[in-house]
Amino acid sequence: MPSFNKALLPEKVILSGADCFHLVLDKHALKHGAGGNVMRKVFYFSKPLSFEKIDGLLKSSAVIYWLCNIKLHEGMIFQKPCWQYSDRGREIIFRQHHVTTENEIPAGIRTRDITIRSERFIEADLVTYPSGACAFVLSWNHILLDAKGTTLLFEHLNQLSENKQQNIDLFFPAPGKKTGIITHIRNMYKVKHFVQDSARPPVFSVAEKKMKSEEGVTAVKVISFNSEETKKINDNAFKAGSRFGPTLYLIACCSHVINGLGKQKNKSGDFWLPVPYDGRLKGANGPLISNCVSFLFYRIPQAALTNVGQTVKLLSTQMMDQIKAGIPQRYSMFLDMMRHVPLWLYYFLVSKTGKGVFASFLYTSTGDNFNNLRSLFGEPIRDINMIPALTFPPGLTFVFLKHDDELSVNIAYSPDIITYDDLDLIEQKIKQTLLSDH
Amino acid sequence: MNQQDITGEIRKYIEKNILDASVKIDVHTDLKSAGIDSFSTVEIILFIERKYGVSIPDNKLVPENFKTIQALAATVLELMP
Repeated sequence: MPSFNKALLPEKVILSGADCFHLVLDKHALKHGAGGNVMRKVFYFSKPLSFEKIDGLLKSSAVIYWLCNIKLHEGMIFQKPCWQYSDRGREIIFRQHHVTTENEIPAGIRTRDITIRSERFIEADLVTYPSGACAFVLSWNHILLDAKGTTLLFEHLNQLSENKQQNIDLFFPAPGKKTGIITHIRNMYKVKHFVQDSARPPVFSVAEKKMKSEEGVTAVKVISFNSEETKKINDNAFKAGSRFGPTLYLIACCSHVINGLGKQKNKSGDFWLPVPYDGRLKGANGPLISNCVSFLFYRIPQAALTNVGQTVKLLSTQMMDQIKAGIPQRYSMFLDMMRHVPLWLYYFLVSKTGKGVFASFLYTSTGDNFNNLRSLFGEPIRDINMIPALTFPPGLTFVFLKHDDELSVNIAYSPDIITYDDLDLIEQKIKQTLLSDH
Repeated sequence: MNQQDITGEIRKYIEKNILDASVKIDVHTDLKSAGIDSFSTVEIILFIERKYGVSIPDNKLVPENFKTIQALAATVLELMP
């Protein structure tokens, strides 16, 4: 098993602007009693895996070791927050569970929080089932890894199982480029106006006026499509005008379903959706640590929710306009600048923009990142699920994940606002809307 | 302007602005396999429209026309007056 030199691990990693935004989300989660800013990826295998072998592999990873031996140093004015590493000899905690119901992930795993005050920022579990099948679950705090970082982490684990050497430099972010203060101020002004305008209240939210989660738990529902249905969804997306991949079609369909749910409850309004945008250069093998995302912001008025094609057209125009204006890059610079603002003030400013509503609902997609990931630890993967962090409000997140040319929708929701009847309706309407000819 | 000039310029733009330096491409490389996603495709289209003064109509916005730099250049050439 490849070893690593602990002395080469960086002592200090400065948080990116997007990481700091996650500090705000963490504060938001604490205030509203949500389930925490923890991401979980679940890999199902048809055959049993060796606990000892995986334990050894996880413990041989330099980046996992670093994630278990860091501490957050919060920033102050003119001092950016950073992760401070010191070798305390802490290794990843890897637990084994035996469960009688096939495919079930025990509540103990699903509800275990990893906060910014935790000793370790990553944990792993192996769940075994009576049939001999098993599930490997990796959980981490979202402040440290974004969607692409996660893909790179699993590629790294596969490289470890193939006995390949670890390139520690690739794991961590390179120092950012310096930008002049005038450019920063001009940029902040433009972005502030754009975001304030697109997020202006009133914004429809599935959480309505409920701003505190009573149960504080994240429930998950997975809707799966086979390869034929996935092909049909891609074809529908193209026909509906989503010319550069199905993303805009998926967002439009989710918006129509949630709008229908809102109408049933006599609620309506403009939708506001910030959608993540990976800021790495394409094909890059790093960095694995830190959030390198920016956002595109979509505002969908009720008038554009008459039919899916019309919604896709509006989203397409908004996407082109924002990319043309360089909004994702500008917003990224804005987030970087906000690292100098004290967290309480940052939180106040973010909450004020949408009067406490962060989004109508949340949408994210892993795109093709996991489509071709056929094996992990040298064993064939049967299925992949995701349990995303749940921001409350809105308390409803759609994650689209494609594996082996089969699409799945992983819906994370707060039972405080989405009842079982609501969920049934969402499931039925998501299937119907995605698969219908528009 | 011929197709070779256009492929060279599009390639230069993609290498400088979109792709990581570790990724090597040529005019026949499948851009999706090289890591180009939907947002990057939009950036490339906006570059083409700006640089060559063409507007790509809906019927040309098909995956085959964005598969490689060669295909992109052929589309541009077809649209140029």
